[in-house]
Amino acid sequence: MADPLDIPDPSRHGLGAHPPTGHGLSRRGFLSSTALAAGGYGVLAACASESSGPEAKATGKAPKEVFSSPASKLGGSLSILMWSHFIPRHDKWFDRFLADWGKRVGVKVRVDHINTVDVPRRAASEIQAGKGHDLIQHIAPFSQYEPSVLDMADVVQEANRRWGQQLELCRKSSYNPNTKHFYAYCPGWSPDPGDYRKSMWQKAGMPNGPASWDDLLRGATEIKKTTGVPCGIGLSPETDSNMAARALLWSFGGSVQDENERVAINSDATVAAVEYMAHLFKQAETSEVFSWVPASNNQALIAGKSSYILNSISAWRTAMGTNRTIGDDIFFTPALRGPKAALAAQHVIQQWIVPKYSPNAAAAKEFLLHYTANFPAVTYNSELYDLPGWPSLVPQLNGWLDADPYGAKPANKLSLLKSATSWSANIGYPGPSNPAIGEIFNTNLLPTMFGRAARGQASPRRAVADAERQIDAIFKNWRGRGLVGG
Amino acid sequence: MTAAPAVRRRARTRAGLADRDGFLAWALLLPSVVYIVALVGVPFLLAVAFAFSDVTTGDPSFDFVGFRNFTEIFHDGVFWRALVNTLVFTGASMVLIVVFGKILANVLVADFHGKWFVRFLVLLPWTTPVALSTISWLWFLDSIYSPVDWVLRHAGLISGNVVWLGRPWTAMGSVVAVQAWRLTPLAAVIMMAGLVAIPRDIDEAARIDGAGFWRRMFEVTIPLTLPVIAVAGLFGAIMTFTDMTVPYVLTRGGPTHSTDVLASWAYFRGIEGGDVGQGAAIALFLFPLLLAGAVAILRAVRRLEPQ
Repeated sequence: MADPLDIPDPSRHGLGAHPPTGHGLSRRGFLSSTALAAGGYGVLAACASESSGPEAKATGKAPKEVFSSPASKLGGSLSILMWSHFIPRHDKWFDRFLADWGKRVGVKVRVDHINTVDVPRRAASEIQAGKGHDLIQHIAPFSQYEPSVLDMADVVQEANRRWGQQLELCRKSSYNPNTKHFYAYCPGWSPDPGDYRKSMWQKAGMPNGPASWDDLLRGATEIKKTTGVPCGIGLSPETDSNMAARALLWSFGGSVQDENERVAINSDATVAAVEYMAHLFKQAETSEVFSWVPASNNQALIAGKSSYILNSISAWRTAMGTNRTIGDDIFFTPALRGPKAALAAQHVIQQWIVPKYSPNAAAAKEFLLHYTANFPAVTYNSELYDLPGWPSLVPQLNGWLDADPYGAKPANKLSLLKSATSWSANIGYPGPSNPAIGEIFNTNLLPTMFGRAARGQASPRRAVADAERQIDAIFKNWRGRGLVGG
Repeated sequence: MTAAPAVRRRARTRAGLADRDGFLAWALLLPSVVYIVALVGVPFLLAVAFAFSDVTTGDPSFDFVGFRNFTEIFHDGVFWRALVNTLVFTGASMVLIVVFGKILANVLVADFHGKWFVRFLVLLPWTTPVALSTISWLWFLDSIYSPVDWVLRHAGLISGNVVWLGRPWTAMGSVVAVQAWRLTPLAAVIMMAGLVAIPRDIDEAARIDGAGFWRRMFEVTIPLTLPVIAVAGLFGAIMTFTDMTVPYVLTRGGPTHSTDVLASWAYFRGIEGGDVGQGAAIALFLFPLLLAGAVAILRAVRRLEPQ
């Protein structure tokens, strides 16, 4: 019997020829087929690309871009790592905008857009390796990177000189008062309003949606009882549930830390907020809020399977592009009023960092100033998703919010965002967004605290006490590194 | 004309290298050795060093902190919860992997039309990239659009959606089921190799003696393939014990940490939370248990070797 891996004799079949056999596979044949298959796979992988979501049609006039020459002559290159924006139009605009700037100032530019959840691990690996992109952008506080990034105080000072005072929300999300360093540059942010289905809330006697957490409990319970459609305040280990947990906590007067970065979670106000969430879950929600990923509440709202969620305007923009009728039925509320306040966490906070290893820091900082100067274009091309950290930069904003350039019906659907800065706070409120707050956010400690009580796994007081133990340990850890005060 | 012999000589040299078993064996082994040293050995040593340091994602500078990271994780309730979850996840998956692997192996050694196609289908879950297949399961188990729920609803078995990933026990059941689905083909192939190695005359002798299917299964086949079954089970256990992809993609450890395993909790603390030292200490806790598993595998393999 012939060995299928027998080596062919070149003298019998000519140079490099393979035996004309249909049985088995020669060793050389196996090796060359493997090489071909690997090559083919590489080509296919290179051809694969992400598809963009639907876009709303612009009816207004895009703002004119401005250019001012850099303070010093630039050269070399600039590489940027940033998220793939929820609004696809933004990335198309940004890529062209960056390329134009590169040409004008003589810098070779490159931008890599990746999924937002991949940005932290990519940034971590680049900083550990001491090599990578010159400029990294993320949409949640990056305070833990402070020891490895440049202080952006000079850029912030220059921006303040040109455009006035930076929003407190942005400052508290990029400045460490203990080290007096700007660990990030924060030129923009996005609010986190309530999104509701008007047709459902109209029937519950609240055509303008809930105004307070009490309204939410009453209205959502009524809607679930009569239509079976639950409320969609998430309790999962994901971003939107984290934001919702903070809004509820602050509105009841609780907070993770005080303004001096001392742990303050264990209070009667926190226990009351947790009790409220347990009631809301039992009366107006289902277990699905424990299984959500960040896109789930958008899907539930658009599918008519949720009456109210906390999210940015992107869910609605998506609906506008895919199903106009549903898009027109989605409306917004500002932060819900609680016993002590009406506050919501920012949904997205722009964090631009320049790692210390970057040889092109000057170009990175100049680009950031150029980008900020063109914030009207950022806001416009993000379909009003990104709002400015220096409000004076976008004088058109209130006009756009009153008459949406992308065809909202009614046109002033987003006008409530004109006051968004008054009901939005950074995730460390009332203190800064320090690394301890970041770790608490990223390990989903608050949604778990609320979720355990809602599930009946622990009493509200016990759930808060358990969370306090974990929070204390995290604060102690970062305080020991000199990055957290208190 | 003079170039032809030179070309032939060069071709012979190439053919000679490719035909030398010793050279080829090392050439084919080398990537695996480099891979293991670079991507397993070096990271392992780094993890040991990190576990005794205060390294964070934002501060790679190394300061020795002794056992502080271990003391702190032992005081964290989530760590113990993750340890229990890891044992449940591994134990339950291993039982399913062995049982279904054995059944599949029996099917795969039988003679029937379309055997090769069935083998191809059975191997698919193993050959599909784990992140991709788990994302497919995330869609299958979606709280609103789950096709699994749709089928069960239309079969009259449920009235509303189950919300597989939203309740602690169904979430754990889901991650176990997906892990078993993913690793069963590997166990089946290992066990198939054991089954085909059983001499046919033993089976025939048992038949002549009047032994039925179940008697032959439990008194002939299983005892003879037990070392192979043990190897398949241990491979499944080790690959489950260290896996975080399935729980991370399906539930991100939720609801309320009920599916957090040591590997996913290490990732949350070390990479997403930024405390690399504590993340490494959690991950390192897997090592003694894995070492015991690896020793068990090697001893089982040695028993299979001809004396």
